[in-house]
Amino acid sequence: MSESKPKKKFSRRKFIIRSAVGVGVLLGTGYVTRPVWRRSLAEMANSAEAPYLGDTESPLLWFEVSAENQVVLYSPKVEMGQGTFTGLAQIAADELEVDINKIKVVHAPTASGNIDGMSTGGSTSISSLWQPLRELAATMREMLKNEAARIMETDAAALTVKEGVVSGNGQTLTYGEIAKQVKEWNIPDTPPLKDVKSYKFIGKPIPRVDLADKVAGASIFGMDAAMPDMLYGAVARPSSIGAKYVSADTSRAEKMPGVVKVVREKDFVGVVARSRMEAENAKNAIIVTWDTGKNWQSEDIEEMIRVGKGEPYVIQKAGRAKRILDNEEEVFTAEYKSPVGAHAQLEPNGAVAYVEGDKATVIISTQVVNITRNEVAERLGLEKENVNIIPAYLGGGFGRRLHTPNAMQAAVLSKAVGKPVKCFFNRQEEFQNDTFRPPTHHVLRAKLGAGGLIKAIEHNVSSGDVMYGSPMVPALAEPILGADVGAWRGGMIQYRKIPNYRAVSWRVKLPFATSWWRSLGLLANTFAIESFMDELAIKAGKDPVQFRLDQIQEDEAGYRLKEVIRAAAQKAGWRDGAHNGRAMGFAASTDANTPCAHVVEVSVEDGEIRVHKVTCAIDPGFAVNPDQVRAQCEGCIIMGLSAAMFEKMTVKDGQLTPTIYGPYKMALMKHAPKEIDVVILENADAPGAVGEPPLGPIGAAIANAVFRITGQRLREMPLQLA
Amino acid sequence: MEAFDKMMAVLTHKRCVNCHPSGDRPRQGEDSHYHNFGVQRGENNHGLPALRCQTCHQQENNNFSGVPGAPEWSLAPIRMAWEGLSRVEIARSILDPEINGGRTLEETVHHLTEHELVLWAWEPGVDANGVPREKPPVPKEEYIKAVKAWAEAGAPIPEE
Amino acid sequence: MKISFYINGNAHSIEADGNTPLLWVIRDVLDLKGTKFGCGKAACGACTIHVDGEAVRSCSYSAKFAEGKNITTIEGLSAGDSLHPVQQAWIEEVVPQCGYCQPGFMMATAALLEKIPNPTDQDIDDNIVNICRCGTYYRMRKAIHRAAEIKNANI
Repeated sequence: MSESKPKKKFSRRKFIIRSAVGVGVLLGTGYVTRPVWRRSLAEMANSAEAPYLGDTESPLLWFEVSAENQVVLYSPKVEMGQGTFTGLAQIAADELEVDINKIKVVHAPTASGNIDGMSTGGSTSISSLWQPLRELAATMREMLKNEAARIMETDAAALTVKEGVVSGNGQTLTYGEIAKQVKEWNIPDTPPLKDVKSYKFIGKPIPRVDLADKVAGASIFGMDAAMPDMLYGAVARPSSIGAKYVSADTSRAEKMPGVVKVVREKDFVGVVARSRMEAENAKNAIIVTWDTGKNWQSEDIEEMIRVGKGEPYVIQKAGRAKRILDNEEEVFTAEYKSPVGAHAQLEPNGAVAYVEGDKATVIISTQVVNITRNEVAERLGLEKENVNIIPAYLGGGFGRRLHTPNAMQAAVLSKAVGKPVKCFFNRQEEFQNDTFRPPTHHVLRAKLGAGGLIKAIEHNVSSGDVMYGSPMVPALAEPILGADVGAWRGGMIQYRKIPNYRAVSWRVKLPFATSWWRSLGLLANTFAIESFMDELAIKAGKDPVQFRLDQIQEDEAGYRLKEVIRAAAQKAGWRDGAHNGRAMGFAASTDANTPCAHVVEVSVEDGEIRVHKVTCAIDPGFAVNPDQVRAQCEGCIIMGLSAAMFEKMTVKDGQLTPTIYGPYKMALMKHAPKEIDVVILENADAPGAVGEPPLGPIGAAIANAVFRITGQRLREMPLQLA
Repeated sequence: MEAFDKMMAVLTHKRCVNCHPSGDRPRQGEDSHYHNFGVQRGENNHGLPALRCQTCHQQENNNFSGVPGAPEWSLAPIRMAWEGLSRVEIARSILDPEINGGRTLEETVHHLTEHELVLWAWEPGVDANGVPREKPPVPKEEYIKAVKAWAEAGAPIPEE
Repeated sequence: MKISFYINGNAHSIEADGNTPLLWVIRDVLDLKGTKFGCGKAACGACTIHVDGEAVRSCSYSAKFAEGKNITTIEGLSAGDSLHPVQQAWIEEVVPQCGYCQPGFMMATAALLEKIPNPTDQDIDDNIVNICRCGTYYRMRKAIHRAAEIKNANI
């Protein structure tokens, strides 16, 4: 066995840079800002297949084989409930040729060097790592085999690998035994990947790898993290929109029991104390002077979020929709609205930080490990390499943890006292400082033509920002892209057999932070478009399912969309109209190339909408773990139902309210459908997005069913009967 | 009738009526909305088997959570529902042994003036946002004096 | 003040301000991190524990009231090596997603099954009012029914 193995001849994948962020980066080289360009960019961003922006060539950054024959998989993607750890373990196990129970998945700290350049979000973890991780695992397997050959003094070609054991030549070595004897690894060429059909773990409903710990209450979330000799911090937070910190009277706080130090910075004031309650109490004793701006009210916000105001950007255009709708008779118009939504994830944001000289360590629930690191480094003037971000399990992500200023604040407090400091939002602060789902206003216009099909259709959406203002998105993207890709996600017309269609996104900058909320604009945009489609079907005297099928184009995306529509309708036993006080409602959407259709079964009892059953058909291309695809569909359906039926933040006297569960109404056990039937189609050869697409159709499907029972067309979320 | 007016100003206040509902759902807050999360009376007025009042409400107010508390925190029995009743109807129900659990006038006065759950109304604590709850419109001592004066006068109920 | 109680079968005495919510004593003093902080307002149920067998939201329960009580947290739900029926059912149905709210739900469910061994859907709807943001309610309901089966079969 030659010692001088070629360092690397890695099979290069062609990355088509098509994601929103990729577009921003791409355009850094200076393209002209022309509407046509923008539209094609918009089309590309809409079908975002984000590349993985981290290491894909160094198996040793990803895998560690212990002497006990365990394989540790260092995941640069975080686990926030979406099941990514399980999917990654499955993907790795098959190519590594080990039992999945031998793989332990942990978060990769930034110090490990295995850093994702982007984030965990956009339902891209499995799809973007599908190819790279299989290659990395196969390479790792090959590398272990080569080392075994060296130890056994035989040729690698004579060896076979099975379940973590290399054998041949009458000898056997476990991966653990091999790893023990290796001083320096040589990375071989990537071997050919196995046939997908031969996989033992991929494609199977493997139980979650984090199941036992989560059921035992043993998983460590950011909020559970601790460091030796740790103190507790609290930071005074503005309660009103736009308030800027001016000064603080800390004289009382300084004398409070347990207080170690009051920390004044140019932009915030905080305290460090011995216990959480002492820190909270002391923080409450600080008298802060805020520069409060305008006394905002909900009416002000509603006034701003109106189609026709703000900056319009045409994001989709085919034929002459505008001309037809502007000039012809019998144009049908309807308006829809959605409210400000809170993330309301159960674990509040915070961090545990320890700044020691020129080094910092932060344990935190974050979706943007890399950005969190950079922000801490910048604030404290440290080298990025000297800041180690250790991600912990996320008590819900949903886009909320794409902003992590808490890390930086905990680090500042730690530096001030020279000890580790744990600093978390309380629930009220969590609501007040949320980065909300923006409110939206939609105007849809359409004209029916021959055969009761749509001749022209137009969707106008006005929304607060989603991706702009996020540290993930280069400021440079803004003037080039124009429209906010996140805000109009799901806002395009997906029935492209219609000869004339058009979509326009109106951008509004709101006075409070709006940002990524699971599925971004998909929920609201689909609510509007799919409710409108239902209204048009009724106008045309057509069955709403057939009405949709008739207007889908003949291409791959069209085929996959039609298939999920047919599958959902068939599985649910679709029938139009109300029967015995119950009615079905239908809606479909395509998000990040994953089409999804819902049939809901609804009744109205004591004036309340009840959703009894949801049949969901989804085509994620290929399901790495069908049970977790199912779980994501169930979760999206219930979270979407909650947002569509109950949730709403209001603005009152400059404050976002409510700030507590209960008054912020959300779906409880009793509101969840008692039956959820998920049909998984696999009409592509690689896994696509799962964690967000099923959120799309739920609001419209419910509203469409409610209309059939009550005759009331509910055009505003949360859905409320008159 | 000043004593009666004072007493009834307290008894018809939300601090009292929220837990004297006419149905099986307690009310809460200054706007007397139905208790969050669909909380229910249960068989013995102490909530449901696994969602008792004491799941959240303890023997005293909790200033960290804003959850109010007092000994025997529970709903008044349904026969003592006051929600929607007039002052006269409430007064009659207080005096009616069939409704008040067989209490004599003396026992009723004792309940109205000394029971800790009743007197909680004057120490209602803060809500979830840390905002103090509204107290009844008559100070505690004055209310107690009024109840006693009313009883001593023979517990007269005016025509209304 | 000094407060003495049993937690998961073990006697403990702690020194704390009696008004400290028991949640923080459990988490920060006793280092049992399975009981979660979600809201601190007794609104979400993530901090649900058992006090003398009854479900209690520990964020709204002053430590002083724990004096002399028997407290059970998720870490003590199982007796010995065998999983509690609720945990067993939770595993069978693969309930958790992010997992943060799950200990509270499991504790509330365990308390429910002690009172109502065969809960109907209505019983579950009425009694289990914790909040789960991932939307695992659908699987939880199945798991609660399954837990009842396991528990009743064990008797």
